[in-house]
Amino acid sequence: MSLLELKGVKKFYQQGKIKVPALRGVDLIVEQGEFSTIFGPSGSGKTTLLNMIGCLDTPTEGEIRLNGNKVSDLSRKALAMTRRFNIGFVFQSYNLIPVLTAYENVEFAIRLIDHTSELKVKEKVLKILEEVGLKGLENRRPNELSGGESQRVAIARALVKEPKLVLADEPTANLDSKNAADVVKIMVKMNKELGTTFIFSTHDPMVMEYAHRYINLKDGMISADERRG
Amino acid sequence: MFSFKLGLKNLTRQKRRNIITIMVIAFAFFGYLFMDSVMGGMEEMSFSNIKNYDTGNIQVVHPEYWKDREKLPLENLIYLNQDLEESIKNTDGLLGVSPELRFKANLNNGIDEVAVLGLGIFPEQYNEVFDSQNYIFEGSMFAPGESKAVIGVKLAELMDLKVNDYITLLVRTKEETFNTIDVEISGLLNAPNPMINNGIVFIPLDIAQQALNVGNEVSLLAMKTASGDEDKITRALMDGFKNKNLDLQAYSWRESAESVIALSTAKKSGAGTILSVVLLIGMIGIINNVILSALERTGEIGMMKALGMREWEIVFVFMVEATGIGILGGLAGCLIGFAGVGLMAKYGVGFSAMGLDMSEFGIPILDKIYGTWNVPAFSFLFILSVIVALLSSIVPAYWAAHKDPVKAIYHR
Repeated sequence: MSLLELKGVKKFYQQGKIKVPALRGVDLIVEQGEFSTIFGPSGSGKTTLLNMIGCLDTPTEGEIRLNGNKVSDLSRKALAMTRRFNIGFVFQSYNLIPVLTAYENVEFAIRLIDHTSELKVKEKVLKILEEVGLKGLENRRPNELSGGESQRVAIARALVKEPKLVLADEPTANLDSKNAADVVKIMVKMNKELGTTFIFSTHDPMVMEYAHRYINLKDGMISADERRG
Repeated sequence: MFSFKLGLKNLTRQKRRNIITIMVIAFAFFGYLFMDSVMGGMEEMSFSNIKNYDTGNIQVVHPEYWKDREKLPLENLIYLNQDLEESIKNTDGLLGVSPELRFKANLNNGIDEVAVLGLGIFPEQYNEVFDSQNYIFEGSMFAPGESKAVIGVKLAELMDLKVNDYITLLVRTKEETFNTIDVEISGLLNAPNPMINNGIVFIPLDIAQQALNVGNEVSLLAMKTASGDEDKITRALMDGFKNKNLDLQAYSWRESAESVIALSTAKKSGAGTILSVVLLIGMIGIINNVILSALERTGEIGMMKALGMREWEIVFVFMVEATGIGILGGLAGCLIGFAGVGLMAKYGVGFSAMGLDMSEFGIPILDKIYGTWNVPAFSFLFILSVIVALLSSIVPAYWAAHKDPVKAIYHR
């Protein structure tokens, strides 16, 4: 059974009286442990597709299955629960909570699903922060971290609950090339070590090089889908 | 619970705005507590002035006299006989009894004339019930049988009178014939009750009875009791009168002070209005705060939804923050209120210094009003601030939490 299956997924947005198509019929199968990139020009539907996969939005037409379960017509509450337990997100602008430390930002995600002992949670959070290279920076707040460090916190936040799928929407867009490479390397490492499935959108050819699968999106449809290695 | 911790931590964001909201709530609360203290003080002093300078704790009168008491009739008076004396003597808890003859009079200083209330008293007995004698400002009280009078300083000022001056009181006897009482002013009173100072002429009871031709009759018996004993003693007096077949009625001071009590009731509804305004201010402050916070944290709300937080969990985060503001505002309000009420209770505020005469508003208080401590108002207001903050945050917090996650994340 595939981790993710999309069949004829369409999405239209209503702008006044005009129906604007964002996705025109996407078919896609993603297996567990894949490290895929979605690329394409602006307005091609990358973000919309990630939102559909991430259960943040529902398709106008078509079907999405996550782990064999149909998620395309779930209620808001059920979608929230699916996101909580199965999906991790990494955003372009990090979206860290400024009043929380790096440790607390990561702890926040795990507290939603893990109500076990304080010690166990602490162990998990410190481990993931160490793995993303933030050992020693646990008590810093987002305004005391660089862009690269902030994005690592966001990756740690997405990974700490050990989701099956991590979605990253242009995770390196706000970073310089060195930090961008570092962040992608961490994602690759986590993919290898934890077997987490990554799907990320990007414009950056350097970042794309790390992916094993390239999904090219054009005018709301997949125009190319290639695998490497 | 992490959401609780996050809500508390969020209190440290937008410090200036939070502080302003907290201060707005605090000053609104302070305003209410201060007003409540002043009004409580006014009420307490009004009641105390009525008891100590006007009615005593209990008044015994003929029921028919009671109906017409405002007209100061010389009908239906009390005859001071042995049965009445025995009946009073057998009543426990009375600290003093003062017979009074109240009559209408015109005070004439030889040039001008002014309507006054004449009050025939026995100074010694009067002193057992009322405090007026302690406020002799100049001269002294008269003795029974002396053709002397004591008047208030304001009346003396109005009529240009001083101690040892002679005045004439024009009165009507029981038979409606005119008579005059010529007396020398033996003393001037400056009591905290404006009625005493402005319009009463005290003369010896025997002189008044003789001039009005009422024999050994008086208008009423004013009695002093320990505070709170009025009802019990009123009942005992009534039983005594019944046993002796005396057609008399005992009334507690509350029944004599209906107008002031009505004012006090009006004060309570006024306080309710002020309280509503105070709570409305708090509510607007909190709602404004939550809406602004939600607008500023749209991306964050989107991220929370992406993490899988449910709407009520996001609402909870905002509610904790709003309740925190309510608690801090309530605490600050109570602290400032504590200081303000403390100062008011210790030093009071002088209305006469401000050129105000409270008696013009029907409040029998002269000069200073001291605040009273209303401790339940502090706790009530604090609890209410927490509840109002909590409740008023729900709708804007729900509005924030209900945002579409995609629109929230990308600030659309």
